[in-house]
Amino acid sequence: MNIGILSYGMVSPGGIGPESFEKEWPCTKIRNALGTRSHDVALVDRTLPELARWDREPRLRRASPVTTFIVESANQALEAAPEIDLSRTGVVVSYFLGCLIYSIRFYREMIKDGRRFASPILFPETVFNSPVSHLVTTLGLGGPVYSQVGDKSCWANALRTAKCWLLNGSADHVIVIGAEEFDPHELDAFHAAAWLRGGNLIPSEGAGALLLTACAGNRMLTLSEVEDGYCFFNKQEAMEAARSCLQEFPEKSPILPSATSWAKKIEPKVLGKRALSCDNRQSSLPFEASTASAAWDTIRACRYLERKREGDLIIPYWGLSHQFAAARISSPPLIPKVSKSQSSLG
Amino acid sequence: MSSDLPHRAVITGYGCVTALGTDSATTWRALIAGRSARAPLTAIEVQGCRVNEGAQAELPKLSRFSAKQLARLSRASRLVLPAVEEALAMACLLDGEGCSLMKRLELSVSTTACGMEKGEDFLRSLWKGEKSGHTAGVAHYQAQQQIGEIQQRFGFRGPAMIIANACAGGGNAIGHAADLIRTGMADIVLAGGYDALCDLVFTGFDSLQALAPDACRPFDRGRRGLMLGEGAAFLVVESERHALERGAALHGVVVGYGQATDTFHLTQPAQDGAPLEQAMRQALEKARLTPSEIGYVNAHGTGTPFNDGAEAKAFHAVFGKTSTKISSTKSAIGHTLGAAGAIESVFSLLALKSGFLPPQVNLLDPELLVADALVKVGETASLHSVMSVNLGFGGSNAVLVFSNP
Repeated sequence: MNIGILSYGMVSPGGIGPESFEKEWPCTKIRNALGTRSHDVALVDRTLPELARWDREPRLRRASPVTTFIVESANQALEAAPEIDLSRTGVVVSYFLGCLIYSIRFYREMIKDGRRFASPILFPETVFNSPVSHLVTTLGLGGPVYSQVGDKSCWANALRTAKCWLLNGSADHVIVIGAEEFDPHELDAFHAAAWLRGGNLIPSEGAGALLLTACAGNRMLTLSEVEDGYCFFNKQEAMEAARSCLQEFPEKSPILPSATSWAKKIEPKVLGKRALSCDNRQSSLPFEASTASAAWDTIRACRYLERKREGDLIIPYWGLSHQFAAARISSPPLIPKVSKSQSSLG
Repeated sequence: MSSDLPHRAVITGYGCVTALGTDSATTWRALIAGRSARAPLTAIEVQGCRVNEGAQAELPKLSRFSAKQLARLSRASRLVLPAVEEALAMACLLDGEGCSLMKRLELSVSTTACGMEKGEDFLRSLWKGEKSGHTAGVAHYQAQQQIGEIQQRFGFRGPAMIIANACAGGGNAIGHAADLIRTGMADIVLAGGYDALCDLVFTGFDSLQALAPDACRPFDRGRRGLMLGEGAAFLVVESERHALERGAALHGVVVGYGQATDTFHLTQPAQDGAPLEQAMRQALEKARLTPSEIGYVNAHGTGTPFNDGAEAKAFHAVFGKTSTKISSTKSAIGHTLGAAGAIESVFSLLALKSGFLPPQVNLLDPELLVADALVKVGETASLHSVMSVNLGFGGSNAVLVFSNP
C-alpha cells in the first residue's frame, strides 16, 4: 500500500504553520526549577491569535498548552484537505512528556496544600489521553484514537500505528501528531540525564501534524517506509542501533540530519556522506521538543521534496533514552509526458 | 481488523500479578472464590485523603536482581517483570537461562502512570533543594524505561508501542497487537498493561471523590465509587501459523476488537452508553458473532454511579435478550487503570478455558437492567466466546472478543 501524505500543520517557536521554518526561532533564558542555572529555551508564543482562539472552545478553556498546540496543528492539516471524511479519520498523538505543566502543578499543590485540597479540575487534565479527547471533540473526528508515549522515536511508532489502521481499513485517513509543552522542571531532568552537556540541545515545545491517506494520489508525497524498534541501552549501542536501522533503507537515499544532545556527536559517523543539507541549514535544528521535533523534521523533509520534486529522503528519529527509528518519504514518480497519439489510443 | 485478513491472532501465553496473587493461577483461584483484596494501603501515602484503602499487590520476589538493582526498579517494573516471565514461560518462549528465545519481539503495552513514584521522588527532591540523589532516578519514571527493563531482563529487542489510552489502554494494547498480526505487520507480539499504586493518581481519584469509602460494589444500586488497585498482565499474541509452526499450545483467539471515542465529557461516559454500544457492536461484527454467542462479558464496572449506569444501558441494548453473563472483577482486584484491560483479558481467557465465571462480589442490590446477568459465586457455563470491555478518561472505549481456538 502506498501511504500518501495529504497535508501537514505545525506550531513551533517560529510561529504558526510550516512557513515558520523560514523565520528565526527566538530563544529566552529560563531558570531551572532548582534555581541554580539558566538555559536557552525556545518557546511557542502562546498569545498568538491562532492559538488564543481555541480558548473560546468549551472543551479547551482549561486545557493544557500542549492541547492547544495539538488542536491548532491538526486543524491546519485538516483545513488543507477539506474533502476528507472526518468520521473515518483516526488520530495518533505521540508524546515524550505529555501534560507536563498540569501534572507538576497538580502534584505541587497537593504536596503544598495537602491531599484533601488536591484539585479535581486539574487532575483529569494531567492524563496523557486528555488532549486527544479534546481534539476529537473540538474538530469532530470519528476514527480510532490512540495516545502513544515514548522517547522522540515514539513518533515513528505512531506512524506505524497509522499504517496499520490504513492497511486494515479501520480508517481512511489518519492524523499523526507529535506534541510537547515546556516546564522549567524539564531543565533539571535533562541536566540530571546529562542531555544539556555540550550545548547541542535547546529545549523547546510545540506540535507537528501529518495527515496520511490510504489513497495516495499520483502527485502526492508518500510515506514509503518506517523502521522502528532499534533499542539501545548506552551510547555505543545507540550508534550500532542507528546503523542497523538505516541499513533497512535504500543505500543511496540521502538522510536528513536531525540529532541533538549526545546524539549530535555520533550522527556524522553514522550518516557519513549520505547526510543532506536541508533548508540551507548545515546541521540539524538544535531545538528539541522530542516528538514535536520528530514531526517538524518530517515536515521539513516533505517541504524539501516538494521543492525538489524528485527522489526520496530518510528522516532519522534519535530517541535520547531508548530507541532509534527512521522513516523514508518519497516524491511521486515523475509523470512521463504523454504524446497526443498515445493519448488517443486511450 | 477486517475478518477478511489472512492471519488469525491467537494467544499462546499469559501471566499476571494482581492484589489477589503473584501469578494468574493464584489470582484466579481467589477470584473464583469471591475474595476481594481491599485493605488499608501501605505502599503509598494516603494521609489527608478521604479514602485510605485499596487493592495493593504483594511484590513478587525477583531472585535475579541484587538489592541495589531492586532499589532502582520502579514499583511498576516489580509488577511487570514477573507477569512477563509467566506469559513467556507459558508460551514456551524462554530458554534454560530464563531469557527469550525470540531475539526480536514486538511489544504493545499500556500504562497510565509509568513509574510515577520515581517522578514524584524527583519533584520532591527538587522542591527540597536537593541537587543529587533522587534526581538521577528521574529517567526511571518514563514508560520506555519499564519497556527497556523488560527487554534487558529477557534479552530481546524490537518495536514498542506504549499506548496511553487511560483505563481502556490495556484493551487497546491487546487489540493493537491483534491488528499487527492480522495485517501481517508482525508474527508475534508481547501485549499487556501495567500500573502501580502511586501518590499522584490515588490522590487524583480521591479529589474527584470517585473512590468508594467502603466496599466497591459494581452494578449495585447503592454503589459509591471505585477501588484503586495495581497490577500487570501480559499476553503472547501470535499469528496462528507462527504458533503452530513452533508447536505452541493455543489458549484462545482474538476474534474481535472494537473501539470508539465518547466525546460527552472528559471523565464521564455518555449516559445512554451509546459509544460503548458502538464499540461492542464493532467488535462483534469483526468477530462475526451475534450477541447471544457471547457467553460471558468481563465488564469495566468501576463501581462509580456514572460509569456503571451507562455501561448497564449499553449491555442491556446489546445483550438484553440473551443469556450472556456479566461481572466486573474490579470489586475483587481493584481498578488497575492501564493494566485493567490486560488483566481482565486474562480473566476472560481463564473463564473461556475453565467454564468458571468470576462472580460479582459485594453485590447487594443489583442494577435492574443487568440484574439477571450478574454472575453469582460458583456459577459455571460452557463458553465458546467471551468479551472484555474497558472505558477510560478521555472517552476511550475498547472491546475485545476472545474465542476458543
